[in-house]
Amino acid sequence: MSAAAKSLIEVRDLTIGYGDHLVLDGINFDVRRGEVFAILGASGSGKSTLLKHLIGLYQPMRGDVLISGASLAHAEGDDRMRILRKFGVLYQGGALFGSLTTVENVRLPLDEFTDLSTVAKDLIALSKLRLVGLESAATKLPADLSGGMQKRAGIARAIVMDPCLLFLDEPSAGLDPITSAGLDALIRELARGLGITFVMVTHELASIYSVADRVIMLDPKTRGIVAEGAPAWLRDHAPQPWVRHFLSREAA
Amino acid sequence: MPAKPPADLPVRWELSASPDGTAKLAFTGELDADSTPEAWHNLETEFKEIKVLSLEIEVRQLASCDSAGLALLYHLSVGGMTQGATINLTGLSPELQHLLHSFSSEDFQALQEHEPACSSLVEDVGTATWSWLSDLRQQVTFIGEVTLGVLAALFRPRRMRWKEVFRVFEVAGVNALPIVSLLTFLVGMVIAFESAQPLAQLGAQVFVANLLGLVMSRELGPVMAAIMLAGRSGSAFAAELGTMKVNEELNALETMGLSPVQFLVVQRVVAGLLLTPVLTIYAMYAGLLGGIPVLLGLGFPLRMVLHQVQSGLHFGDLAEGICKSIVFGGIVASVSCLRGIQTGEGPRAVGESTTRSVVSSILLIILSDAIIAALTYTLRK
Repeated sequence: MSAAAKSLIEVRDLTIGYGDHLVLDGINFDVRRGEVFAILGASGSGKSTLLKHLIGLYQPMRGDVLISGASLAHAEGDDRMRILRKFGVLYQGGALFGSLTTVENVRLPLDEFTDLSTVAKDLIALSKLRLVGLESAATKLPADLSGGMQKRAGIARAIVMDPCLLFLDEPSAGLDPITSAGLDALIRELARGLGITFVMVTHELASIYSVADRVIMLDPKTRGIVAEGAPAWLRDHAPQPWVRHFLSREAA
Repeated sequence: MPAKPPADLPVRWELSASPDGTAKLAFTGELDADSTPEAWHNLETEFKEIKVLSLEIEVRQLASCDSAGLALLYHLSVGGMTQGATINLTGLSPELQHLLHSFSSEDFQALQEHEPACSSLVEDVGTATWSWLSDLRQQVTFIGEVTLGVLAALFRPRRMRWKEVFRVFEVAGVNALPIVSLLTFLVGMVIAFESAQPLAQLGAQVFVANLLGLVMSRELGPVMAAIMLAGRSGSAFAAELGTMKVNEELNALETMGLSPVQFLVVQRVVAGLLLTPVLTIYAMYAGLLGGIPVLLGLGFPLRMVLHQVQSGLHFGDLAEGICKSIVFGGIVASVSCLRGIQTGEGPRAVGESTTRSVVSSILLIILSDAIIAALTYTLRK
């Protein structure tokens, strides 16, 4: 298998910014099929903006993002839908719809995109909820769930259409260490068990060491990627002292 | 009794049943979200025709199977289509087997039996009364707080955040001029048109000018300006304060020892009190201007029209309009801020409080207009 066939996401010469303000300048990286990939960087280095470009919410100033070879930024109509169906996204707060119960939230994509019977849709939605350990909260409204539960429900909704790729925006933000460790375990299980590729933006070092196969580090000064590799390797062998410092400080 | 599925489906199955009640079902192909609905439906009809006591399901030949396919296999394996039969599912890969464990008929049963909570009528009436009473209480407290705040601002004007007052004055007042002038101009025109005909029957067409002057200065000038303020700026106040509440900015103020009323509401109320009279006078003129082209069109010279307006209008009429407008301005600004502060939680809360601010403002404008009209009528007598 060639290198190109193995990468699920190819980012080529991606330049992003707002107006005159450049955030990232001509970055390149690949995300391989089946790995857990983390985007790291200090606050304000453009992690979340990069993620929004990867999932096609924003148009890049230059360059392109290819998801299994297709560009989301240039696709329209059915082509765009086909690419969107390949991935799920977990937003920071879960982004559950407040007027729907948890199980209705998870069932929503099935209702909209499939012709399955109600029994089938309920069975699938409940199985995803059980996968994330929320089967007992199926009929609750999002407002009655805790922060960690909302994120897990968000993951259940993101995987209900069996995507091969999942984007996570700060999955551990605002969670206590135990809940956050539980979420890491869930990510590992989904990655190993279902073969889902993960791309996550985070600054939780503990969860990076426990789940991430590879990380890239963004630098706000050079507006590019300063380091790329396995997190533990970067911590010990990164050429830039500040990257080693960044990766070892909190982890100790 | 072999049954063949439709040829165009990516999934195929072979269902063979023997007379002793044993049946075999073997799948090949792709069982996914696209092919499952039809397969589900067809299998259901096929199983209805036969009596099955024990069923062997064989899926080794399945090329792919997603959650939808697993849901079908699970439904089959728990006897969803063959009540009371013993079922054996073989050939599932370990990964799919693991996923199949996440399906559970207890969860499904629990979901089916769950009924949304429904409250009784008595409970609803009680809740509504309680919320109405507590809203009333909040309003009274709020009026007191705002009055104290405005008085404090009058006596110690240095402590007032005048910059904020001027900002609100600009956004809610100056920026509203185009829409206020357009609307009142058109209303003035319409009134002149509509009244010209009945007055012509009495030979009193020249009094259209008097009528326009009176209506605009005593009634429509202040009311139109206030309603525009409620729709355009009151809703913005409510949304602004509501968003601040949702973002916990109001809590931040409170823990800093600053009262949200002092810090945010008083400026808006003072700006509202100051800008509505100005806006009202402007609206009165725009309304009169709207009537003048109509009167000129009816053949009256401009001098005559202006003279009629002058002779028909007294200082009392103008004063009444301006007094009304001050009351309306206070009402709109304070009620909108109150609705903003009362914003609850959740994504719809800000929208709800915006709606409530406009509804309450307009209701109170008309109500107080009626009271003032009754008062001035008795005073004049």
